[in-house]
Amino acid sequence: MTEVRLRLSQQSILNYQGGWMGISAVPGAGKTFTLSRLAANLILSGGLDDDQEVLIVTLVNAAVDNFASRIASFIHEAGAIPGMGYTVRTLHGLANDIVRECPELAGLSENYRILDEGESERILMEIARLWIRSHMDWVEGYLKPDLSPRDVEQVMREHVFGLISNLARNAIRYCKDQGITPQRLRTELDRLPMPLALAEVACELYTEYQKALQYRVAVDFDDLIYLAYSILEQDEVFLEQLRYRWPYILEDEAQDSSRLQEEILKKLAGSPGNWVRVGDPNQAIYETFTTASPEFLKSFRKLPGVIPRELPESGRSSPDIIRLANLLICWSQTLDEEDVLKNGLDLPLIQPTQPDDPKPNPPDVPRGITLFMKELEDQQEFEIVVKSLKRWLEDENNQNRTVAVLVPRNQRAMDFVEFLNRYQIPVVDTLLKTTTQTRSAARVLKKVLEWLASPTSAIKLSELYKTWRSARAITADEKPTIERVAKWIQRQSLLEKWVFPFPGEDPLDDEKLLSTDPTLVEECSHFRELLRRWSMAVVLPIDQLILTLAQDLFTAPADLAVAHKLAGALDILKSMNPGWQLKDYVDELDKIVKNERRFAGFSKDDLNFNPDDYKGKVVVATMHKAKGLEWDRVYLMSVNNYDFPAGDPEDTYIAEDWFIRDHLNLTAELLEQLRILFSRDEYEWYHEGIATLRARRDYARERLRLLYVGITRARQELVITWNTGRKGRYHAARALMALEELWRQNAQPTC
Amino acid sequence: MISLTSEQTRVVNLPLCRAFIEGPAGSGKTTAAIERLNALLQSGVPGHTIMIMVPQRTLGIPYYRALHQFQGNGSEVTVSTFSGLAQRMVGLFWPLIARDAGFAHPEQSPTFLTLENAQYFMASLVRPLLDQGFFQTVKVERARLYSQILDNLNKAALAGFPHTEIAERLKSSWSGAPEQLHVYDDVQVCVNQFREYCLQHNLLDFSLQIEVFSRYLWKTLLCREYLLASYRHWIVDNVEEDIPLAHDFLLEVLPQADSALVIMDTDAGFRIFLGADPESAARLASVCDTDVRFEQYSAAPQVMRDLAIHMRDSVERKESRHPVVRASFSNFREVVEPPEKSLRFFPQMLDWTVEKVVTLVNQGVPPGEIAILAPILSDALRFSLADRLERHQIPYRTHRPSRALNDEPAAQCLLTLARLAHPHWEMLPEKQDLQKALLLAIEDLDWARAHLLIEVCYRRQNGIMTLQPFGEKIQMDMRERITHRIAERYQILFEWLQAYAEHPVNELDFFFSRLFDEVLSRPGFGFHTRLDAAQVTANLIESVQKFRRAVQHRLGDMPLGKEYLLLVQEGVISALYLMNWQPSEQNAVFIAPAHTFLMNNYIVDYQFWLDIGAKTWYERIFQPLTHPIVLSRRWEPARKWTAEEEIKLNRNSLYRISLGLLRRCRKKVFIAYSDLNEAGFEQRGLLLKALFRVLINGGRRD
Repeated sequence: MTEVRLRLSQQSILNYQGGWMGISAVPGAGKTFTLSRLAANLILSGGLDDDQEVLIVTLVNAAVDNFASRIASFIHEAGAIPGMGYTVRTLHGLANDIVRECPELAGLSENYRILDEGESERILMEIARLWIRSHMDWVEGYLKPDLSPRDVEQVMREHVFGLISNLARNAIRYCKDQGITPQRLRTELDRLPMPLALAEVACELYTEYQKALQYRVAVDFDDLIYLAYSILEQDEVFLEQLRYRWPYILEDEAQDSSRLQEEILKKLAGSPGNWVRVGDPNQAIYETFTTASPEFLKSFRKLPGVIPRELPESGRSSPDIIRLANLLICWSQTLDEEDVLKNGLDLPLIQPTQPDDPKPNPPDVPRGITLFMKELEDQQEFEIVVKSLKRWLEDENNQNRTVAVLVPRNQRAMDFVEFLNRYQIPVVDTLLKTTTQTRSAARVLKKVLEWLASPTSAIKLSELYKTWRSARAITADEKPTIERVAKWIQRQSLLEKWVFPFPGEDPLDDEKLLSTDPTLVEECSHFRELLRRWSMAVVLPIDQLILTLAQDLFTAPADLAVAHKLAGALDILKSMNPGWQLKDYVDELDKIVKNERRFAGFSKDDLNFNPDDYKGKVVVATMHKAKGLEWDRVYLMSVNNYDFPAGDPEDTYIAEDWFIRDHLNLTAELLEQLRILFSRDEYEWYHEGIATLRARRDYARERLRLLYVGITRARQELVITWNTGRKGRYHAARALMALEELWRQNAQPTC
Repeated sequence: MISLTSEQTRVVNLPLCRAFIEGPAGSGKTTAAIERLNALLQSGVPGHTIMIMVPQRTLGIPYYRALHQFQGNGSEVTVSTFSGLAQRMVGLFWPLIARDAGFAHPEQSPTFLTLENAQYFMASLVRPLLDQGFFQTVKVERARLYSQILDNLNKAALAGFPHTEIAERLKSSWSGAPEQLHVYDDVQVCVNQFREYCLQHNLLDFSLQIEVFSRYLWKTLLCREYLLASYRHWIVDNVEEDIPLAHDFLLEVLPQADSALVIMDTDAGFRIFLGADPESAARLASVCDTDVRFEQYSAAPQVMRDLAIHMRDSVERKESRHPVVRASFSNFREVVEPPEKSLRFFPQMLDWTVEKVVTLVNQGVPPGEIAILAPILSDALRFSLADRLERHQIPYRTHRPSRALNDEPAAQCLLTLARLAHPHWEMLPEKQDLQKALLLAIEDLDWARAHLLIEVCYRRQNGIMTLQPFGEKIQMDMRERITHRIAERYQILFEWLQAYAEHPVNELDFFFSRLFDEVLSRPGFGFHTRLDAAQVTANLIESVQKFRRAVQHRLGDMPLGKEYLLLVQEGVISALYLMNWQPSEQNAVFIAPAHTFLMNNYIVDYQFWLDIGAKTWYERIFQPLTHPIVLSRRWEPARKWTAEEEIKLNRNSLYRISLGLLRRCRKKVFIAYSDLNEAGFEQRGLLLKALFRVLINGGRRD
């Protein structure tokens, strides 16, 4: 490996030889760099047998490729052959690996399917729909008593399915995480002297859901993790083999580790074993209604025998940004004891790097931080930010710089993307769900299927032509031709006479057309050949149809790979829904195209999003998706007391539906009932409302951490705005107000 | 006349004796046996006294081919598998043993069940149990559930233990979660019910055929004398792939035969999951009086054989330590070719494979000397390869047709029309399915006009989708668009269906054959010039006929045709009976799963190993309801099956398969892999690692 200067804190981690190590890192401290380097060191030190690997476990798919390529480059630098000696997995990927090796132990056949989120959602909605039909009165029992009949009708029409399926989703996830089967849940409920209404519902829905999975020979993501755990629990010999295969386990983002993740990795590492966990408790933002908790990492670091290490320096942001982030930590540290946000953020503070550091902090820029405290309505906030963005993008000095707009929720982000499009501001929405490239491959396939489903529609065919033609590189000269041809196709009301002419009726044989527009004739003839081929392939099974189309439509390897994967995914859908027709597949592809359904493709963005690839464009993302990334300038929007509540009396909470009585957070109440049901403490009993209050506290703290994550995405410039919401009820988040005051006073973080 | 090696000559010229021939694949054993067969026939041994026994039918092909060419002496040589022989004997001596074997109606003739028909009965019996909550914790498709229960019966029969012990054996070896134990109890109930039903109705599935033969029939003097007198000369090939029960039988038969040639491949046993037992096969040497070892000749070159040895060491981890920092020079590079650069995606791997094939063919390599082998050949993979080869006009053949029966467009067309013709079955097709059917059924009809036709002629009437005539009610402009020619053909089909509806038949095969004969095969209709469609029709008819004949004693009163259609939909009737509708071009690239290639016993110049990172190269197919090893004769009851056993088995399978493949390759193996598999996951299985290691070690041993 080429010599690089390492910080002392990094060096002390890279000196690692073995054992359990817990590392707390601040944002931008170079976790990925350090962990990848550690993996490469372990591989190159010669301590591994050829069938042994360093196992790296990450939180999200996007990080997998990042780790893999970094380790590969370190190994390559050392003159060795990259690609061997390590494996990088998400927890789901790891669980899948384990289950795939012995599905028998999990009661599965080897061809079990993993249900994607979309299919799982569809099943839940269907179950909810059926359940509601016979339980209308149950719902009424939880409605606010003062709702008008119109409100009740609206709730029943628009909200109830979502509510029930949401309850089911969270209950099922909780049960699976705890290893509770529907049968066990039923048995426990039957033993109770009085019923737990929410848990009863959960039991019914869970039972139906599992039946639906069984019918489809499928497991969902939560099953996979629990099954992996139970296999490790059952089979000592297999566990030993895995321990041999992965003598070192490096875990990234350990602050978001769930109970089961910790259990699985603990088992795999063994004691004494080699397990390095890295995380930042202040960036734990995936805890709501899950068993993930930053407490796992914190307690791990305190265990006897665990080597504690810190990565406190960060070269990512300017001193001003660091100061602001640190002020937020100190503010939360110094709050009153009873304040729900007290100690919501933990020490240590972020330290800037030394001037001679390989990654020195960027300098401050004038007015680098704007905390825009003016009261703005929903749309006004959009307008203000768009104006600011326009100004910034037009400034020549910013041509080579990056900018992102980060919002708390996906829907708000999608709305903002639309807004930017209206102003013709170049926008990148890849981080929202499916990447642009993958979506455009799906779009072309969708257009073909759409035409095949309605083969006499000239409008659909004209659209297909444009999509197909635009998907290939086109020159400015070709654009008018494409428009002309598209219009000509649209005018062909008797489409069959053009696409499948009988002798003597082909409009392309028209002498006049041939002499006036030979380009059109040539273009149409070529396109028609494809159409004929595709329409002959329509009798093939859907996966083979897609593969056939892909051969004609795509040339880029990543697009072909997407088509291949889509073919497989649609084939699974076919086996789950044998009656599906072309239009159903079109709907499915449409969800991917419209970014309503996540579909991991193979483009660079799918595997490793790099903000620096989008200089001069506005990246719009949720704050969650922005984790691990950084931009020169960052806008944080909607920082009000709805998205960032603080446990204050006027705060409202997204999980407390407006139509539910007593401000109950039904999901929290349900999970509490389930917890109590399996509690060993016989004096513990369920009291309605307590879980709702606890959930408020947890949520407020998590949102404070989310704000911290947002702030620390910025290298040099940060703009924070807030809005009053649609009904004008909200004010700026308490944390934002405090920060503004501290900033105005030029306060220094001292805690 | 081919030239023979000294070992082969020795075998051909042996006196009448019992010889045990052993040697690696590709050393010329079968060739010697064929010449020996010829010599026997030439010497005046009557063909009908010769029995050639092989473990599966494909392994008999070289003998069939040779017999076709030999100038026989008037009577036919028998080529059979052990189970084929058992079935014949049970049929012949049925009255003798039917009562003893427990059949309720010994006076009536037996019905031998095909696998599909056995699945049908199993499905009929198990379905109500599933509704009662059987197999609740198991996630497996219905069709596979039925076949795995049947598998248990077959395994018990092959291993020779009573079927009533299946659950006990599975349970006693189970080391996983206790919930699974209930599943095995459920299996036992199904197995018992099925066996009881078969005995009540004179039905013989594979397991009963074997059991009745080995437990009852073979003990009768009459059958023994008949068999021993009929077959005086035995040639038993690939004995290592056969089951111990067959070996037991041969141990008794061979000492009394006039001559015998027992041929065994060393290091083979690829059908181990189907009950093959090479160790048991080796027992046959004890009843032979001559041993011949084939060691001199090999179809594979020395370097390929060296590679095989290194692969074995690598798989068994005989050498170790750090491939990462090893040199990359290799002596094996002349016989193993990886992609020049790393391929990221699965389709890129397929492109690379086909590009290489094209280059070879352009260099003059006959396509028949190329085999593309995958661990598992999904329909999509087969289709992707076939499609790419077709685009380069390179002939190919696959081990089975590219689609299952119910995915084959011509079969789909017939099945859709069958639904339409029987509205009282309440299985009327969707509009688009009928559109596809008409596209294939009516010549010159295109997809757009088929759409128009359906829109005007397939409409809801009294709440039911009904096919309408192409009559006056249809507006003139629409009639012009669809054209008179198409309308006329549609009307013929419509009228035929109308006439049929007045006198429908219960037998679906009659319906198909009449529809084909009276409409679809006529000029103006889609099957008129399409030989492949005719072949599919014939296969479909045969499938229905076999089904119909077998299910005389079926449960319930659903019309038989409807039941057949439902079974196709459920996947119970799928890809069987479909052996030969593709023209069997011999000089064509062979696309197959690696196991199939091995069991066909071909030797080729070039092999492509696809997706070598996949674990499916060596992992057995997991079956939650059964277990191939635990239910074999060799397994001690009550011994636990552990992950360690599994790994040992995996390594052993990988070793055998790589050795088997390398011995069947004369010039070069192309190893194809991509970083990400079809689903986008990384896969680095044992085969990739082992090959990687052998290649970077450069064939030099430390």
